[in-house]
Amino acid sequence: MALPLSYHWRNLLVRRTTTALTVLVIAVVVGVFVWMVSFAGAIDRTMSVASDPRKLIVLKQGATSESNSALPVDEFNKLSQIDEIARDADGRPLISPEMLLQVSLPRLRDGGRTSANVAVRGVTEAAFAVHRRIRLTGRAFSLGEREVIVGRTAAEQFGGLQIGDVVDIGYGGVRGFRVVGYFTGDGGPMESEIWGHLPALMNASNRTMYSSASLLLKEVAEPDAVINQVTGPAIQLAAMSEADYWENQSRLMQVYRFVSFLLVGIMSLAAAFSIANSMFALVAGRVHEFAMMRTIGFSSGSILTGLMIEALMLALVGGAIGCAACAVWLTAVGHTKDMFGANTFTTLAFDIRMNPAVIAKAMALMAAVGVGGALVPAIRASRLAVVSALREA
Amino acid sequence: MTLTYVLMQNLRRNPLRMGLTVIAFALPMAVFVAAISFVVALARVGAHNEAQLRLGVHHKQTLTNPLPEALRRRIEGLDPDRARLAAVCGMRWFGGRVPETQNTLTSLAADVDTFHIVYSDTDMTPEEVVAWQRDRTACVVGRNPATTYGWKLGDRVTLESTVPPYLALEFHIVKVMDNAERANFFYFRRDYLDESRKAAGFDDPRCNIFWVKCRSAAALRSLQQDIDALFAHTPDETKSEDENAFAANFTQAAGDLPGLMQAMAVVVVVVVALVAGNTMMMSIRERTRELAVFKAIGFQSSRVFTIVLGESVLLAMIGSVIGVLPTAALLYAFPVRGLSFGPISGLEVSWVAVVGSMVISLAVGLLAGIWPAMRAMRLHTTDALRRVA
Repeated sequence: MALPLSYHWRNLLVRRTTTALTVLVIAVVVGVFVWMVSFAGAIDRTMSVASDPRKLIVLKQGATSESNSALPVDEFNKLSQIDEIARDADGRPLISPEMLLQVSLPRLRDGGRTSANVAVRGVTEAAFAVHRRIRLTGRAFSLGEREVIVGRTAAEQFGGLQIGDVVDIGYGGVRGFRVVGYFTGDGGPMESEIWGHLPALMNASNRTMYSSASLLLKEVAEPDAVINQVTGPAIQLAAMSEADYWENQSRLMQVYRFVSFLLVGIMSLAAAFSIANSMFALVAGRVHEFAMMRTIGFSSGSILTGLMIEALMLALVGGAIGCAACAVWLTAVGHTKDMFGANTFTTLAFDIRMNPAVIAKAMALMAAVGVGGALVPAIRASRLAVVSALREA
Repeated sequence: MTLTYVLMQNLRRNPLRMGLTVIAFALPMAVFVAAISFVVALARVGAHNEAQLRLGVHHKQTLTNPLPEALRRRIEGLDPDRARLAAVCGMRWFGGRVPETQNTLTSLAADVDTFHIVYSDTDMTPEEVVAWQRDRTACVVGRNPATTYGWKLGDRVTLESTVPPYLALEFHIVKVMDNAERANFFYFRRDYLDESRKAAGFDDPRCNIFWVKCRSAAALRSLQQDIDALFAHTPDETKSEDENAFAANFTQAAGDLPGLMQAMAVVVVVVVALVAGNTMMMSIRERTRELAVFKAIGFQSSRVFTIVLGESVLLAMIGSVIGVLPTAALLYAFPVRGLSFGPISGLEVSWVAVVGSMVISLAVGLLAGIWPAMRAMRLHTTDALRRVA
């Protein structure tokens, strides 16, 4: 026979202070945990978008990222000899020459106190065919004017990127480029960038070389074979899949992630001990009561289950409060974060959002912590010697 | 019966609860001392930078746009008497990678004549300055890369630049810097870089940033405005920032680990306060009758108050000692070196952090114990005696 649920939550309510304090500890730990997992999720989402298996990024040999790669035009032209590159409707190979610049813009989330290096990518029309997930929301830049389009995440997190604003990009003169539209990239890394017309940007920055090239391979092509061809003696450039490129750049973020999970792990352990503490107290004062229940006819199993249920209730209520607190924090204080790529010297902007998967994970963790912490006291309680317990005052 | 005796007896009453509480207190405190060490290190670097009075002048749009080296003379021309500025050092980013690795060092080419003046915190002795000025390939290395790659004074090392034109240059170490603030840096001579670039066909001596050593904080502020005003509306528009503001831009983007640590420190304090408070409340509730007996036999209310508060503080201190001391010892024995999160070059425990953690625990113990102690003090003796457990 199982104990009624109302018995359990009434029990928790009777010992209001203990319950409240334990629930708060759990809530704080869960709140922090949910934030960490949401941030890790944002990183993972961005990286998964940036892993088109048919896309290769080509850099100058010796460069560690697009930002410090200088690809001369004649070397770029050699890429058209690769057969495995997909063709567009007119039979031209889908190779996108790109040039990276940076511009320092204020961060909106701290009121512009610090500035972030935002990547500016000079592209041609081929870029929209090669980067298949980029979609315009509004106008594109005109080919004759000094205009740029801004990635959605960049516009949300950095100042001066609204439509109509003029951004000073370039070198050797104040070169204003007007923002005329936005683009989305399914949340990938390119959403943190500003895109402009390649010749105009090369002009503005006095550059004669590209930074990199992106290729879209045919569906049947073997990426590794193409990479070998690019690094081989005919072309002598460096190539890697888009996924590998961004994974290399996410090194710093992985370290941050590791450190934060380590800290939260330790705090969760502390929460487990706190729950165990509360559960022992919950059991200690009710020895007489449990003995009474045993004499009425409840089995020791139902007492064990009952105590586990109480611990679960504590954990879940605490978890719910923690999730709610994190959601409030994200809305009220800020849900944006940007981090440098390992070698790009430009930032990737992230949008930290809670979603059901994250909440489920947090609840599952807390349920495990609650059950783990309550196991020993619950077993003890269920193994009471009834008669001697009854005798206890 | 002394206070200490009573306290120890009380704590021994329920060893299981004591044990669990102490562990639940110690674990967050371990996190706290690490986090606080980080925050303290950051504060120390900040104070150091402020004292060094260096102003960084770079292109307004982005640090990566280099400025003509002639700007140095124009900056110096703002103050011919050298009343406000002591020296100007132009620097260019080299981005040298250690061959056969993926590690790029923070390597910069600096003006040979003013480097040791502007970067006086490298503590170069007159002999070292002479060596720097005499040897074209001289370089000054921070202790982190020196330890990691086993470089010593007098070694010849090669770095491969990760920025165009990707030169690989050989250097001769004339000094290894000891101090923490310069631990991750690698400086060499800009004239050597410019000659090598010229030989490769790139004849454009430029600087990414000029560091101006100022004579006072007021001078720094006034120079900051004057320099930006001087170059405003020119192709070489500048933005001048003091070293802390400059570093803050990187710290934010390098993951804002300091922000994370500060947040964790606050979370820890909240959690341990709740844990301690919980235990104390439980403890008081089951000893209502006993405390009433104390009062009945003549203990004053204030003494009862002290007993309960003292127990809370003792609990907090024990938990804190168990959490802080092993962590501090671990970090002391194995300091985390070789970090490159902005200005922090390593995580070392400092006495300030340890003492600070103990003080915070004391405060938490007091805070957590106040409410139970007041309840105990205000017990109505006869009512409490009548109560059944």
